[in-house]
Amino acid sequence: MLNLFVANLKSLIRNRQLLFWSLAFPLIFTVIFGFFFGKNSTSAGTVVLINQSKSELATTIESAMTDSGLFTLQKENNLDASKALMKKGRANAIVVIPESFGQMTEEADKKVRLIYDPANFQASSIVNGFLGQFLTTTNYQIQGARPIYSVEEEQTVNGSFNYFSFVLIGLLGMALMNSAVQGLAISMSHYREDKILKRITTTPLASWRFVSAEVLARLVLNAIQVSLILTVGIYAFKADVPGDILLLLLFSLVGAILFQLIGFVVAAFSKTTDAAEGMATAVTIPMMFLAGVFFPIDQLPKWLYSIVQYLPLAPLLRIMREIAFGSAGIFDDPQNLVILFSWIVVALAIASYRFRLTDE
Amino acid sequence: MEKVITIENLSKHYGRLVAVDNISFFVKKGEIFGLLGENGAGKTTTLEIIEGLRRPSGGQVKVLGNDITLNPAAAKRRIGVQLQSSAYYSYLTLWEILRLFGSFYKKDTNADKLLKMVNLADKANSYVSQLSGGQKQRFSIIASLVNDPEIVFLDEPTTGLDPIARRRLWSLIAEVKNSSKTIVLTTHYMEEAELLCDRVAIMEKGKIVALDETHKLVESAKNPYKISFVAFLDKSAREKIRKLGELEELGGKSAHFEIAFANQANMDKALDIIRGLNPEALTVSRASLEDVFVELTGHSIAEEEEEKEKDA
Repeated sequence: MLNLFVANLKSLIRNRQLLFWSLAFPLIFTVIFGFFFGKNSTSAGTVVLINQSKSELATTIESAMTDSGLFTLQKENNLDASKALMKKGRANAIVVIPESFGQMTEEADKKVRLIYDPANFQASSIVNGFLGQFLTTTNYQIQGARPIYSVEEEQTVNGSFNYFSFVLIGLLGMALMNSAVQGLAISMSHYREDKILKRITTTPLASWRFVSAEVLARLVLNAIQVSLILTVGIYAFKADVPGDILLLLLFSLVGAILFQLIGFVVAAFSKTTDAAEGMATAVTIPMMFLAGVFFPIDQLPKWLYSIVQYLPLAPLLRIMREIAFGSAGIFDDPQNLVILFSWIVVALAIASYRFRLTDE
Repeated sequence: MEKVITIENLSKHYGRLVAVDNISFFVKKGEIFGLLGENGAGKTTTLEIIEGLRRPSGGQVKVLGNDITLNPAAAKRRIGVQLQSSAYYSYLTLWEILRLFGSFYKKDTNADKLLKMVNLADKANSYVSQLSGGQKQRFSIIASLVNDPEIVFLDEPTTGLDPIARRRLWSLIAEVKNSSKTIVLTTHYMEEAELLCDRVAIMEKGKIVALDETHKLVESAKNPYKISFVAFLDKSAREKIRKLGELEELGGKSAHFEIAFANQANMDKALDIIRGLNPEALTVSRASLEDVFVELTGHSIAEEEEEKEKDA
C-alpha cells in the first residue's frame, strides 16, 4: 500500500492541470481578495489635507490626522489641484482647514471643510467620524464640560478582525471542496473508463487498500494546499488568524475527507468522466455561494438560511472560523460538529455501498 | 495431464439475457487455450469469471485448485491478466507501473528484465501515452507477468494492430508459453488461433459449439479441400463443377471463385476442368480454422464485423 501511496503522490504532482486547479487557482483567489481587502484596506486610503491656518488648533488637528493610522495623509496647498487628484482616484477625501480657523476672534472660521465623492462612502465616513470626534472633544474642553454618556465598545473577537480574514477561511474551504470533490470524482471515473480499476481488481490488492492509498495521497496535497493559502494570506496580506493553526489544519483535513467521500459518491453515480465532471460542478458551485465562502450566510433570507446552513461546507466553515478567530471553542456549540460528522457517515455509507472498482 | 483450470456448468445471466449458458471445459497445464467467437458470444464474460472479476450465476470454476468465488485472492496471486484495451496510469512511467503492480503481489519485480524482453528498455522512463499501439500491447502483456504467474490471460491481445506488430506479438506469446506458463487467450483472428493455440473452443451465443485440438478441429471440416482461382467461368463448366463441390463466387475482385470439396477425388476432377479454362491464378489449399468456424456458426467473423460497422 505504501508503494501505491507513493505512486499516487507522484501521479498527483506530475499532473499539471490538477496542480493548477488545486494550488494555483485558490492562491489566485487569495491574492485577489488580499489586494482588495487585505492589509490596510479598512483604512480610508489617501486623504488630502489643505491646512491654511497657522493656529494651534489647526496644528493639533494636523498632527492628530497624521498619527491616526486610519488613512495616509497627503499635504497640499491648492484646492483645485487636490480635486483633480480625487478625480483621478489618487485621493479619497479632501480636508480644508480655513485660514482663520482656530483664531480667537469672533469672525474666525469655525468650520473644517470635508470634500468627498459620495461614491466613496467608506472613506468619507471614516474621515468624518474622526474629525467629528476630535472636534467634539475640543468643544468639551473649551466649554469645560465633562461627557456623561458614552459608548462602551466590546469586540466579540480579539484582534483586528476584518473581511479578508473572514474570506480567507472561506477560500480554504472552497479550495478543499473543489479539489477533493472534483479531483476524486474525475480521477475515479477516468480510472474506470481506462479500466485501471478493473486492472487493479485482477490483482490480489484489497479494494480498501486501493481507496485508502488514493485518499491519503490526496490528503497530503490538501495539507500543502491549506498551508500555502494560509501562509500567503497571513504573511503577504496580513490576515489575522489568532487561533490554533494546527487544529485548523486538522479540521481542514477532516473536511477534505468528507469532500473526497462525496467525490467517490459522485464517481459511483456517474457513468462517464464527463458526467462526473458535470455532477461534481453541480455539487460544488451552489456550496461556493450558499455555504458561506464569501459572505456570512445568516444574512440570507431566513427560509433559505434554514436550508443552506446544513450544506456540508457550511458547518465546516463555521468550525474553521471558530478555530481560526478563537471566537468560540468548537465544543461550545456541538451542532456544527454533529452536522459535519453526520455528513461524513452518510457519504461514507453511500460511497462504500455504491462505489465499486468493477461493474459487479 | 494436469488441469490448471476446470469449469463445470458455468452460467452467467444478466436479467433475462444469458451471456454464458451452462458451459464446461478445462485447460491443461502448459498449453495455449483459445476461446473463439463473435462479439457477444460470451468469450470475455467467461474469461472475466475465470479471472475472478465477475461472479458466475451458476456452476463452478476452479483455478489452480482454488474455487474462484470462494477464494479469489489465492487464485489472483498466481495468475496474470491482460484486459482488452486496458490503459495504465497516465502519470507513471513504464518502469514505475511494473514495480507498482509487482508490489500488489508483494513481489520484487525485475522491471528492467521484463522491459528488455519486449524491446522497451529504452522506454522505461516514458509514459504509456508515448507508446505506439504495438508497444502498448507488448507492455500490457509484460505487465501481466509482474508476478511470474502460472496462468496468463490475454483478451484479444492483437486486435487493432498492424500485421508486423501482430507477428511480433505472436512470437512474444510463444516466448511466454516457452517459459512454461499456461496461456488462455481470446481472439477474433482465426489464423492467429490456428497458429498459436494448442486447443480452441468456439463459442456461439453463450455456448461452446466445438472444442478440440486445433489441427483436429481443422481436419473435421465438412469440406477439407479448397481451390480458389481467377478465370472466366462459362455456364457448362460452372454446372460440371457444381456437381463436384461447393462453388462460391467471391465478392470484390471480378471472376474470383472458390470451391470447397468433401474429398480429394472430386477436387482432382475439378482441377482438370479449371486448367482447361486457362485460369489467371489457381491456388490449391486445405480448409482453415476460419472455414470450420463459418461452418459451425453459419457466418464468418468478417461478415459479422461488417454488420457491426453498419450498426455503428
